[in-house]
Amino acid sequence: MTKLAYFPGCSLKDNAKRFEDAAFFVMETLGAPLEELETWNCCGTVYSLADDDLMHHIASVRNFIRTKEAGSEELVTLCAMCYNTLARVAGRVEAHADELEKINAFMDREEDYEGGIRIRHILQVLRDTIGWEALSETVVRPLDNLKIAAYYGCTLVRPQETGIDDMERPVVMADALAAVGAEPVTFPFEAECCGTYQIVDEPHLALEQSNRILRSARLAGADVVVTACPLCQHNLEQALIAPVGESEEIKSIQVVYFTELLAAALGADEATMSPVVREILSTSVTAEGGA
Amino acid sequence: MADEKLTQIYIMGKAYDVPVGVTIMDAMEYAGYRFIRGAGCRSGFCGACGTVYRKAGEYRLEFVLACQEMVEEGMHLTQLPFTPAPRSDYTLAELDPSENVLLQHYPEIARCVSCNTCTKACPQEIEVMDYIQAALRGDVAKVAELSFDCIACGLCAMRCPADIKHYHVGQMGRRLHGVADLATPEHLTARIAQLDGGAFDGEMETLASASLADLKAKYAERVIEKVQEPEVATEEVAT
Amino acid sequence: MTGPQFAGLQDGYPDYMRASIEKVEATRARRLKEGTLAPMSAEARAELLEAWHPDYKVDRKRDLSVGPSKGARMPHEVADLFEAYPTVDPDSIDLSKPDFDVSVLILGGGGAASVAALHAVYEGISPDDILMVTKLRHGDCNSVMAQGGIQAADRENDSPAIHYLDVLGGGHYTNKPELVRALVEDGPRMIEWHEKLGVLYDRVNGDYLEAHGGGTSRMRMHSAKDYTGLEIMRVLKDEVLNVGIPTIEFAPAIDLLLDEAGQAAGAVLFNLETEEQVVVRARATVLATGGFGRLHIQGFPTTNHYGATADGLVMAYRAGAGVIDMDSVQYHPTGVAYPAAILGQLATEKLRNQGAEPVDSEGESFVYPLEPRDVESAAIIRQCYGEEKGIETPSGIRGVWLDTPMIDEIHGPGTLKSRLAAMWMMWHRHGIDITVDPALVFPTLHYQNGGVEIDAEGATSIPGLFAGGEVAGGVHGKNRLMGNSLLDYNVFGRRAGISAARWAKANEPKGLSLKHVKTYVEELKSAGVGEDRTAPMILPDYRREAVTERRLDALH
Repeated sequence: MTKLAYFPGCSLKDNAKRFEDAAFFVMETLGAPLEELETWNCCGTVYSLADDDLMHHIASVRNFIRTKEAGSEELVTLCAMCYNTLARVAGRVEAHADELEKINAFMDREEDYEGGIRIRHILQVLRDTIGWEALSETVVRPLDNLKIAAYYGCTLVRPQETGIDDMERPVVMADALAAVGAEPVTFPFEAECCGTYQIVDEPHLALEQSNRILRSARLAGADVVVTACPLCQHNLEQALIAPVGESEEIKSIQVVYFTELLAAALGADEATMSPVVREILSTSVTAEGGA
Repeated sequence: MADEKLTQIYIMGKAYDVPVGVTIMDAMEYAGYRFIRGAGCRSGFCGACGTVYRKAGEYRLEFVLACQEMVEEGMHLTQLPFTPAPRSDYTLAELDPSENVLLQHYPEIARCVSCNTCTKACPQEIEVMDYIQAALRGDVAKVAELSFDCIACGLCAMRCPADIKHYHVGQMGRRLHGVADLATPEHLTARIAQLDGGAFDGEMETLASASLADLKAKYAERVIEKVQEPEVATEEVAT
Repeated sequence: MTGPQFAGLQDGYPDYMRASIEKVEATRARRLKEGTLAPMSAEARAELLEAWHPDYKVDRKRDLSVGPSKGARMPHEVADLFEAYPTVDPDSIDLSKPDFDVSVLILGGGGAASVAALHAVYEGISPDDILMVTKLRHGDCNSVMAQGGIQAADRENDSPAIHYLDVLGGGHYTNKPELVRALVEDGPRMIEWHEKLGVLYDRVNGDYLEAHGGGTSRMRMHSAKDYTGLEIMRVLKDEVLNVGIPTIEFAPAIDLLLDEAGQAAGAVLFNLETEEQVVVRARATVLATGGFGRLHIQGFPTTNHYGATADGLVMAYRAGAGVIDMDSVQYHPTGVAYPAAILGQLATEKLRNQGAEPVDSEGESFVYPLEPRDVESAAIIRQCYGEEKGIETPSGIRGVWLDTPMIDEIHGPGTLKSRLAAMWMMWHRHGIDITVDPALVFPTLHYQNGGVEIDAEGATSIPGLFAGGEVAGGVHGKNRLMGNSLLDYNVFGRRAGISAARWAKANEPKGLSLKHVKTYVEELKSAGVGEDRTAPMILPDYRREAVTERRLDALH
């Protein structure tokens, strides 16, 4: 398989480095290595909902131009928020030629974007291009006995046009973990909001919301919650550190990026794993096969 | 001058006939201006002479250095030799480069919408927006590489709709990269230990007391070191 | 980038030069194969200098008629400023209420000034108790324009002693030995200091990329692309700002103040915008005001910055500081000869240390590319005006080719653009790609070899006045090697800063005085110097005469 043009996003170079490191290992192991765009900029962070706010779509459009320059028609992302922003802008400018024309006119002496870039989340690549069977066959350290709750949050699955799975009952991340031997549990908060940026100005709102998510996962029997978004991950981690309300039951739960568990299953060296993943492996998973 | 032909330009709205084929700086002096601000090295290194102009019939504002750019018929120009741009003080040795210190010191970089106006304003053809984006994700090596040719003229900061002070970010990024990512070569540390230990004192004393004839003889005997390129260069040039 | 504007006029070389460029191209492969010509013998060098170097033209100099170094020989342009009347009126200025009162006053805003200021802080002076004042902006200086590199003997096959010999031989044994010793022994320490400040030197495989310069016998030239001066200067400025040393820009000193006992006690400043005089009282003063390139000695164009007008020399001389080696001027061998818009701007010696060689109109090399600068300059002048093998530009000056495309031939494609980014950009702005075509060059006024006499600690003959950098003389004798000016300002800026701090802690000026200015005026008068000239110059005047003739000071 050829290399995949890959857009990391800012957080993955900073506080979510382990999310990306694990993804690199997984995709390399599966023979579909990620090739980071040589030049890229912030996706725009949040997709602007204002009708006339084209300025905030330029960031995404520039990344599409860089993708074309890299010789690719597809751009793979890992961060759920980047995916959401990039995919929505891609769809919007595809559907509104007049808006794209304005954006190109503003960029002036630079290369025009003429449409045609498809944004894919890495989970879509695993599901639709590689397949669960192929993933399964690559496992060297099956995650037996590990009960996981796949937490999707908002941006992977909403809105419908760009969602990578069913809006209400997504399964893609649970399927990925199941393919490597883990046992997914379902819980009612899997596609609820984590509280997002409220964590900055109104932290209690985000913490209550995240706390609810963790409790729900725990009540469903999960040992570990897996995420696909640095902000979800951050808020859930904060809720673990600063529990609010009735929260005894969440203390024993762990939160990790889904790529971290996939990498563990596919035989990543323990030295490259985060302490949380090492702990999960030592307590829940029967170590066999792996390093 | 290369040519006696004159052409008309507008300095702050006033028309002047100036020679063809000279820089904006020379043309302004020809017109009768004597610079106090707005002229420095006169060679494109100091960033004192940032200048903006528009040409008749052009909607774009152009950004140049007065000492490097030639005058052109119908230019309407003015200098912007000073950019109010507060910087953030820091103590280099106390910074933890693993934290995103650039974002902490210049939180406004998060306001970047990638409009790229800064890049278009750069007379050094630096990818300014790209280094601000690298700063945003804490990649100081990239900041250093991309911002290296910066002469701090300030035109980027003057132009930015997000009020970013790009050149300060670049400066801090370069210094951080230097101390965080690059080790002091061992031979330098060893040489300083030798100097501290007085390893060369005897030799230097001998030279200091040598006669002129001795010195000339020693100079003539010097063997000039042959240039040898390293076989494999993996990392080059200042970053 | 808008690119060249006058197609045919500025875009690349005029057609008539093409025939000569083709000759350069035709001989390039052979020249690359055969290698450069050998360095000249001492005798050949001496003969060449005598016949062709501008310094050796006796009618372009005179002996000073006044002051502490009366009788010293120097170019007319410099002597004119020494033999000139002050702008300050000692009788009308009130010195009893200084506007500032500090421990250390730093005059200048370039490399030496910044290094001195920082080291005064390291030596225990509170940043608030230091004042740095400068004519233009902090960092508007020659230091920022240095391109090629900084020497420091830090490699195993090198030593301070080898560096010492290179410097002394390059200076024709006219240097002050104790200054050279300080220069070479402090070299590695200064590089280490830069490392701690985060200066980014070029590296290959993690180690410094060190090269030769003209007259070096070891590769010890540290560089930062061809922005070496810029990289060091901007880091120093950033650190001065971090440390919080107060700086006043656009406020040059116009005369030094002494106390009743004749020791340095501050300066009178001139606010260039409000035109006020400002009095600064200081326990110690550091002179770091740079050189004299903007005096255009013998009519040469210059690589120097706008403020290089010898103000500090003039002030210090009036106050009684002796000068040394003022008869010697450095002409950089390779200034831009074409296009005219950038005439005289620097084409760094790094072009030659990376492999470009000077070639005449016939495409033949005529000199070892890395002779000491005075020798290299004289050889180029001889080739143009003695051998008649120069290339004449449309504006009537002559130059020789610097065969820049050789660099990528030797080191591989892309080398020139990455190691010499500033040079590539300079010609690129005028439609010339120096990776494809050679550059046309001719010597340009570059450096003041001499200056105020100092000792190894940066002390001048005036107690409490310290000096470092280009304003000071003796380090380089009659000829400076490439890469030793950046080192000079670091080494002697540091020593001057430390000495000033120590002096300030132990001494207190008693009373402020401009008596020395009055005495100097009397001396000028008795020497019969006409009263039409004033100094310091502060800034050169490049206005068209037709305009200045019609000027009226109606606002005053």
